[in-house]
Amino acid sequence: MDNQTLSRRNFLKTSGMTGAVLSLGFYWPGNAKSAKIVNAAEAQNFGVEMNSWVHIDTSGKVTIFDHRAEMGQGSYQAVPQIVAEELEVNLNEINVVFAQGDNKKYGNQVTGGSSTVRGSYKNLLKLSATAREMLIQAAAAKWGVDKAECYAEGGNVIHKPSGKRFHYGELVDAASKLEPPKEVILKKRSDYKLIGKPLRRLDTPLKTNGSAIFGLDKEIPGMMYAAVERNPRLRGKVKSFDDTKTRQIPGVKHVFKVKMGVFNTYREGVAVVADSTWAAIQGKKALKVEWDDTGFEHLDTEEIYKRQREALQTQEGLAFKKQGEPSEIIAKAAKKIDVTYETPYQYHAAMEPLNCVAHYQDDKLEIWGPIQAPEWVQDYISKEMSIPKEKVILNMTFLGGGFGRKAFMDYPHEASVISKEIKAPVQVVWTREDDATQGPFRPGITYRCEGVVSNGAIDAFKVKMAGQNNAHWRGGKKDVPNGSASEGFLKPYMDSIKNLAIMDIPFETPIPTMWWRSVYASTNGFAYESFLDELALEAGKDPLEFRRAHLKEERLHKLIDKMEEVSGWKNRKKGEGFGTAITECFASTVGHVVKVSKAPNGGVKIDQVWVVMDCGWYVNPDTVRAQVEGSVVMGLGAATIHEVKFKDGMAVDSNFSTYQMPRITDIPPIEIHIMENDADAGGVGEPGLPAFAPALTNAIFDLTGKRIRRLPFSLATV
Amino acid sequence: MKRHSQAGKGDLFSVKTATVLSILVFIIAVGASAFRKDEVAVKETTLSAINRDSVESVKAFATVYKVLMSPRCMNCHPAGDVPLQGDDSHLHVMGPKRGHDGKGVYAMKCANCHQETNTPGLHTPPGNPDWHLPPADMKMVFQGKSAHELAKQLVDKKKNGNKDIKKLIEHADDGLVLAGWNPGEGRMLPPVSHAEFKKAWLTWLNKGAYAPKKTSN
Amino acid sequence: MAKITLNINNKEYPLEADPQMPLLWAIRDLAGLKGTKYGCGVAQCGACVVHLNGEAVRSCVTKVSRAVGKQVVTIEGLSATNNHPVQKAWQEIDVPQCGYCHSGQIMSAAVLLREKPDPTDQDIDDAMAGNICRCGTYLRIRKAIHLAAEMQKKTSQG
Repeated sequence: MDNQTLSRRNFLKTSGMTGAVLSLGFYWPGNAKSAKIVNAAEAQNFGVEMNSWVHIDTSGKVTIFDHRAEMGQGSYQAVPQIVAEELEVNLNEINVVFAQGDNKKYGNQVTGGSSTVRGSYKNLLKLSATAREMLIQAAAAKWGVDKAECYAEGGNVIHKPSGKRFHYGELVDAASKLEPPKEVILKKRSDYKLIGKPLRRLDTPLKTNGSAIFGLDKEIPGMMYAAVERNPRLRGKVKSFDDTKTRQIPGVKHVFKVKMGVFNTYREGVAVVADSTWAAIQGKKALKVEWDDTGFEHLDTEEIYKRQREALQTQEGLAFKKQGEPSEIIAKAAKKIDVTYETPYQYHAAMEPLNCVAHYQDDKLEIWGPIQAPEWVQDYISKEMSIPKEKVILNMTFLGGGFGRKAFMDYPHEASVISKEIKAPVQVVWTREDDATQGPFRPGITYRCEGVVSNGAIDAFKVKMAGQNNAHWRGGKKDVPNGSASEGFLKPYMDSIKNLAIMDIPFETPIPTMWWRSVYASTNGFAYESFLDELALEAGKDPLEFRRAHLKEERLHKLIDKMEEVSGWKNRKKGEGFGTAITECFASTVGHVVKVSKAPNGGVKIDQVWVVMDCGWYVNPDTVRAQVEGSVVMGLGAATIHEVKFKDGMAVDSNFSTYQMPRITDIPPIEIHIMENDADAGGVGEPGLPAFAPALTNAIFDLTGKRIRRLPFSLATV
Repeated sequence: MKRHSQAGKGDLFSVKTATVLSILVFIIAVGASAFRKDEVAVKETTLSAINRDSVESVKAFATVYKVLMSPRCMNCHPAGDVPLQGDDSHLHVMGPKRGHDGKGVYAMKCANCHQETNTPGLHTPPGNPDWHLPPADMKMVFQGKSAHELAKQLVDKKKNGNKDIKKLIEHADDGLVLAGWNPGEGRMLPPVSHAEFKKAWLTWLNKGAYAPKKTSN
Repeated sequence: MAKITLNINNKEYPLEADPQMPLLWAIRDLAGLKGTKYGCGVAQCGACVVHLNGEAVRSCVTKVSRAVGKQVVTIEGLSATNNHPVQKAWQEIDVPQCGYCHSGQIMSAAVLLREKPDPTDQDIDDAMAGNICRCGTYLRIRKAIHLAAEMQKKTSQG
């Protein structure tokens, strides 16, 4: 199986396809939500190049494109598993190739928002069924029989009455001349042979013998290696530099100032280009750079949170949602809850540090790298470097983790600028220290939550947030509230709580921020779900029962039933250390129950985590489970270890020695249940994360009576 | 602590070793700076117990104790089977285990990360050709010990790897002990120089290796 | 710069390298074997683990000079056909997500299984706590090591 990104021409060559090929793809008129399925001839009529999603050659070999980044979340498995189902081929007979960046061909290719499956599965099913129908039609015509007497199975078309069969390869020539049918009948979920099954991932063998090519593994002829010493204050400039010692290091070939874009601002650094990664890194360490850090504040963590807390006490903010009279009820209430939750800045910490290969030539720029958002990179570089977008060729590699950080343009932009300067292909390698300290980070946010309960229910509910709005970094308007202010919070609460306000206080710092796995749900979830727990206890209600009473939706009640059933919730004893939380994220709802107990040497130990995931239609339950397991582990780190601290405008921790990761010794047992229903597909890669932290802190309250309102906290010293 | 296998017995303050000590004291008096590893003169002569001085010995041990309980020494003499790390002596991140020979276990052997020399940079593994913990059968725990307990333990042949006074003296110049004074970037040095430590170590030993009173730490 | 020869996966690689260069970069940039990964550069994460005379050294802090005259085995050379019991168990359990750390995880686990063919959970903790996985595949790593132990036992018996 070839995991390289290939141009169509090379693809045909490399994949060994000869003669006729049945290729089907989509045509995306404008920004249409659904795509029209086309073959090569039709694509020509539309004036677009065929996106060739599925190819079958005369040997019967099927090759499909994965249009999204594979960063661990399983697109490399999910896309083929969907296609193979309706195409009626065996999964292990499919070649998977990463599509190049081209949103005209493939539609939205930004791998974010847990959108790969939910954004494309309906089209993929239809496309694959269309190809199958064309092959059946071609076979029926050859045999001169009614196509209703034929069916497809395992890469063959079979004539049921006679038992005659054609291999797909024998049919592609004829099928490729047919016009794709306008309507095809899709299988019922109950008839699926592949979808819904825990099939093994196609990329696993590549990842057990070192053959998967990640960005850092990409090598092209004549490639140089570069490391860059960048301004540690995230948006500063280079005043001057002394490279005397750098130039003495054998292998160092060039040293020059370089500027990269960070959204609407720029960061400067000094690039060291050498003939090996090691020489480049040594050269970078030997640099003496004087920075220009004027024109923006150099903040400390303490100052950021002081300002957020002050803002929450003195400002009302912009209304994201306001109904009834929450403020009035809270003002008059004899008893109310008024609490503040604080969440830290977070670093993505993908195991593969940022890197990018770029080759700038006179007429084009070609990029290879671990990239989540190819079209954004193309757009940005096209604009910044004045190259037509179609001349910015973007090749995807495997990503050694992404978590949102690799959906940026800065590192490919910088690599492109360096390649242009040295007139040669270059790989820019970020050291772990660069990766950890340069951001963008997930913003740290403080929430003030005020509420009143009466008669066992929520009477007034008001949440104000003060924290950076990622949209501002992309030129978003500053007089509108954060559009993600309720992300994580279950929408039906907004129907049942008549007096409700969700407010956003605009808050800025010079620290670049961006999304991090599950985005605002990762911070909102902690505030909303801790607050709901406090309200439930104030109302004297069982936390799950309290939620059920406020969530008037059958699908959610089923989720809660399942949570109760699997965790033994109803049989728990008071103070036994059970906590729960439910959040919504990217069209999936996930409930966590966490059980904790007192650790023998002090502090708290997590005994068990139960997760119930309702992601609607899904492809591979094992991938869903893997993503939830990973989300819990990442959530555990975020809740109990991780905080990016700033001192004098710089990120303090620069490597895993002080920004420590959860290890195999830290992981509690995790039991995962997936809800079965007919709902549309929801996200899988991120929704498992947000509810973990509040379920854990709610459990700790149940055990100890201590309410944790700031993350991270130490399990050892609770 | 390279030799630890034989559980020895014998009188710690034999005439033989006392003689050795007296000579060493003389050398120290001449000048600690002249006292280098390869110059340690250890001869076997005879000597009376006249050099024993519990006041001086205990006083010197105060310096010894201060050094041994500093992170550079204590971190590899932990109470448990996981070494300590950093100037705050936290448990070694990733929890490498001692193993029977003190050199780690499985994929987590000391020398997998700790090279022959210090790795450059902050928070990088310090190095030494013989990097290890005391072995499982002779743990020589410093962490949590009072001065009294530690002094007793150091000269107890059952607990110190069967080291007699001669070997204890030699141990002051053991490569790993010396590594404490070359701790790698960003790490605090022991509270006194190696020469001062060694002077105190020898004074303590040759004046009778008296343990401070139980309450004196 | 010095001329050195490394023996990697039973093949001789004559290289010209700064003797101070970490083995990691010699393997990746000079020998061109990209399966061994750079993760932290300071022996914290284990992505760079290779076998040096059978021990799971962290190639990011191991000078290339230390490897001269010794046997280096990287993930590419662990087995001929991706069929070391640890590799097979990893495939069976579908351990990797992004996969970046797993060259190192597998190389560490292989040493564990050689020295402790029937590891307990505690042995797995003791062997594997040095390898970070940001995707959080730890529960599967544990499961796969137990499975690999079973597979190894069957192979040696059969």
